[in-house]
Amino acid sequence: MQMAKKIRQILLFTTVLLGLSLSRAANISIKAELDSVDVLMGNINTLHLEVVENKGTQGRLSIFQEIDRARGYATLCGDSVELRTNYTVDTLELGSGKLQLNFSIPVQTFDSGTYTLPPFVYYSGRDSALSNTLTFKVYPVNVTADDTIAGLANVQGPDGSRFYDWLPDWLLDFWWVWLIIFLAICAFLYGMRNYQRKGIPFIAPKVAPKPWAVALDSLQRLKNRKLWEQGMEKEYFTDLTDILRVYLFERFGINAMEMTSRQIMDKIYESDLKDKRDYVKQILNVADFVKFAKVRPLPADSIAAYDNAVKFVEETVPQEQSEGEKEGGIE
Amino acid sequence: MSETVNIRELNDLIASKASFVSMIRTGMDRRIIGQKHLVDSLLIALLCNGHVLLEGVPGLAKTLAIKTLASLVDAKYSRIQFTPDLLPADVIGTLIYSVKNESFEVKKGPIFANFVLADEINRAPAKVQSALLEAMQERQVTIGEETFKLDNPFLVMATQNPIEQEGTYPLPEAQTDRFLLKVVIGYPNKEEEKAIIRQNIVSVTSPITPVIQPHEIVEVQKIVEKIYIDEKIENYIVDIVFATREPSKYGLADLSSIISYGASPRASISLALASRAYAFLQGRGYVIPEDVRSVCHDVMRHRIGLSYEAEANNISADEVITAILDKVAVP
Repeated sequence: MQMAKKIRQILLFTTVLLGLSLSRAANISIKAELDSVDVLMGNINTLHLEVVENKGTQGRLSIFQEIDRARGYATLCGDSVELRTNYTVDTLELGSGKLQLNFSIPVQTFDSGTYTLPPFVYYSGRDSALSNTLTFKVYPVNVTADDTIAGLANVQGPDGSRFYDWLPDWLLDFWWVWLIIFLAICAFLYGMRNYQRKGIPFIAPKVAPKPWAVALDSLQRLKNRKLWEQGMEKEYFTDLTDILRVYLFERFGINAMEMTSRQIMDKIYESDLKDKRDYVKQILNVADFVKFAKVRPLPADSIAAYDNAVKFVEETVPQEQSEGEKEGGIE
Repeated sequence: MSETVNIRELNDLIASKASFVSMIRTGMDRRIIGQKHLVDSLLIALLCNGHVLLEGVPGLAKTLAIKTLASLVDAKYSRIQFTPDLLPADVIGTLIYSVKNESFEVKKGPIFANFVLADEINRAPAKVQSALLEAMQERQVTIGEETFKLDNPFLVMATQNPIEQEGTYPLPEAQTDRFLLKVVIGYPNKEEEKAIIRQNIVSVTSPITPVIQPHEIVEVQKIVEKIYIDEKIENYIVDIVFATREPSKYGLADLSSIISYGASPRASISLALASRAYAFLQGRGYVIPEDVRSVCHDVMRHRIGLSYEAEANNISADEVITAILDKVAVP
């Protein structure tokens, strides 16, 4: 009696276990189908995989490995059949917690013959399902001498090309040069815009110093060198007359550097500087003696020549400039 | 003003000895109206023991000028009219057989004088010209086997007519270089022309009294040799001469195609000598740039070779010299 009861329990347990396992196996299924079983070599056929699984589970096809995704296809039947990785997946809600996934995978074959695709495995959680096998035939392309030769097709770019692939390499290699040029053009246009709008020059021009400022500055430097005090009267008067000559040229346009003392005096007499001629006359007279006649001037002559040069410059500063210039004038 | 002694002494010496200059000028003015530049040029040549090449149309008192100068200096004067059939012996002299002494005797030519007028020098053949020019350079003449020193002072004034070039023998550049000055004289102005008429329609002319003796001229020549030329003046002279050789280095690139050859070192020497004589005429014991500029045209105009381009554009040597003087910096 006891024994019969135990057998009944074992049978009941086994039945429940079997029922449970059958109910679980029915949760995932996969079915394979081809568009065509007769395909011309090189043409693309489409493999349809219909997977039904529980909603909320994360399944995957085992056929595609990481390496296959990188190169764009996976191979079957000894590398003869290629399955493209750019497949599409369509999802369909079946109700009752079921979800149908429709995979459309491009298949291409470059060798003629009959091929049998092995079952495709689909994993969902701990479960897996095998599809049915498929057989299809690939026909070679028959070309006869009578067939017309089609024109060359354009070379097609690789799949997934980016927008800048059409640019030449040298353009991309020296991108920083183009960037600098672009920035320079922008800066120029910005400067021109400012110049046209406000009259502000892009680069401010260097303002040339005024002749009287240059002359007074040169005279001050000559004084600081203390040439005549050291017995170098000839150098002193040479420099003094040179400063005066440069000033006459810069200020009045008299080419004094190429003129003799008498010519300079004649020019001054002809100009509006008549009342200032005594200053210049004293300087040039003494300078001629010192420079050409080995004369050593008295200190008073050297001082007077310097003072006359300063007076001549200061008194010939234009009226509108004189106030400002005199403030920064010579000691 | 304190001076070194030699210049002051020289100035005093010149002041005491230069009085004859104004007397000669006055004496020349009494006979020659205008042509002051010619008179000054003759004096410069006389003071530096040089010779003058004179260019001007007939009737401009060339002969009268040198004849008057000879009278004022109380010197021996001779005139040689150069013609195509003239022989060297007609200029320097020759050996003549004396029947009485039964030997050859020296017959000195007209070159044995203090002042020689070689009239229309370009009308005689080259061998006569070179005989005269050799005597001018060497200041001695060899007749037969005997060498004779020429008188001192010795001044040759050769004339050229610029308008009649048919049948002439133009002086080669190497020979014109031996003249210290080439003076170009022009027509007198209206007032001067009237004065010339008034002076020449009177049959009686006042006699010329000598104002200086030839040996005194020699003494003055030695004073002129002492006139001080500063290094700055030497540099100025060198710059002017170099500007004729390398105009582009002096900012005169335009003249490069105008000048076919520049002035020789003899031009530098002559410019220094003539500047010194000019300083003496101004009563100075030292040379200033003004002196150099005053004599520059006369010294340089026959020493610069002009290109065909210059001739085609009617550019004269004087214009070239003026351009150079306007560009070379004055010390």
